[in-house]
Amino acid sequence: MKIVINGKETLIEKEQLSMRDLLVLQNVKMPEAVSVELNGEFLNRSEFASKTVKDNDVIEFLYFMGGGK
Amino acid sequence: MKGFNTIAIHAGQSTDPAMPTMAPVYQSAAFTWENPEAMEDVFSGRSYGHLYSRISNPTVTLLEQKISSLENGIGAIAVSSGMSAIAVVMFTLTEAGDEIISSNALFGGTRTLFQNVFKKYNVKIHYYDNDHPEEIEKMINEKTRLIFTETIGNPRLDIPDFEKLAQIARKKNIPLIADSTISTPFLFQAKKHHVDIVLHSSTKYISGSGSTIGGVIVDTGNFNWQNFHFQKTAAKVHPDFLFLASARKNIFQNIGCALSPFNAWLNILGLDTLALRMEKHCKNAEILAQALTDFSPVKEVNFPGNKNNKYREAGIKYFNNRFGGLLTIKLSGKKECFNMIRKLKMVKNAANIGDSRTLIIHPASTIYYGFPEDEKLRCGVSDDLLRISAGLEDAEDIINDIKQAIFGG
Repeated sequence: MKIVINGKETLIEKEQLSMRDLLVLQNVKMPEAVSVELNGEFLNRSEFASKTVKDNDVIEFLYFMGGGK
Repeated sequence: MKGFNTIAIHAGQSTDPAMPTMAPVYQSAAFTWENPEAMEDVFSGRSYGHLYSRISNPTVTLLEQKISSLENGIGAIAVSSGMSAIAVVMFTLTEAGDEIISSNALFGGTRTLFQNVFKKYNVKIHYYDNDHPEEIEKMINEKTRLIFTETIGNPRLDIPDFEKLAQIARKKNIPLIADSTISTPFLFQAKKHHVDIVLHSSTKYISGSGSTIGGVIVDTGNFNWQNFHFQKTAAKVHPDFLFLASARKNIFQNIGCALSPFNAWLNILGLDTLALRMEKHCKNAEILAQALTDFSPVKEVNFPGNKNNKYREAGIKYFNNRFGGLLTIKLSGKKECFNMIRKLKMVKNAANIGDSRTLIIHPASTIYYGFPEDEKLRCGVSDDLLRISAGLEDAEDIINDIKQAIFGG
């Protein structure tokens, strides 16, 4: 499937997977501190395991650790 | 990882390519990026990384990960001192016109911060007595933003009823903030006992050795911050980290109270032996309290572990049958206290606690100098009082030094 992660088109060799699995697959740094936006909606961490990522989804990984607002 | 020592030693991610066993000190003000796009991503929060050590630093982050793990929290912010930790929490959770409720037996520095800084910004402070937590309910109104207490009041050495505090706080949806400097995560499991934000002056037992200044703030994850008055940006973007994101982005990185990488490293070094040291501090304080009870010039020994102490049961319940490393004694008056301090040969007269060395201080003439008499009394401070921080020396040597200072010519 083809998804967009932080503005970049990304090919994933699976039909679908959970958000938690995507964090592992993408080797996301500091996963314990990342916030996730899926198609314009911010997810609670409790939803990471149950939320399914599908073709054409738009995902943003965001940190509050950096310098921005 | 489950054991306290294992977590203290191994928690946190070390990504240094040289793979050292001990975390390196990243003693650098700034960090370079290979291209402007990558740097923009970090600034915007779309990538994780370090830019500038006022904002974050790999050594400081490792300390934050370790303390957060020890507290079983959802994240931590390490700051330049314990006072910074309290200030960041206060600036994050209060605005002008707000009110807070705090225990009255506070460390003098905390009380001064509340009185001299936050009153100036029109934050009203109500003080309650930890022996009467029911007082809190009468103080709560729609402007109340937090309840603050120390896990062991310094120097009154009172221990709150955390069940009661949490019950009141939950009922009114107000966060419970606890300064656990004296108990450390080794004695007190803040999350389990319903604390929402736990603070430490890591200067004391966490770093040990009296080598550095530092502070840490941990969100235990107990409190639902969704309805709290944070700036909208953090609330929208980071639903699970509302407090941490707001504290870090709106306050911490703007007022510049970052912990230096070297001080963070000293704290990390201290964590390796925190449990071992705390056992010894607590044991030495217990032995010392017992010995001093038999010295006739000592009118009173206050140690939560003493059989007749009213906080003994709370210590057994909350601190796993330990009572901390502090005790206070009363002599006849200020003159006798000063005479004793003057005669000490090994025990040091110093304004700190949690050092490897046993430290003593006369609080009324130092930390509480200039405080009104009624405030001193509420904090358990009087002219005849001495506070002792039991060090790691052999207990017999501490006792002998104090004995010769009290009885010696």
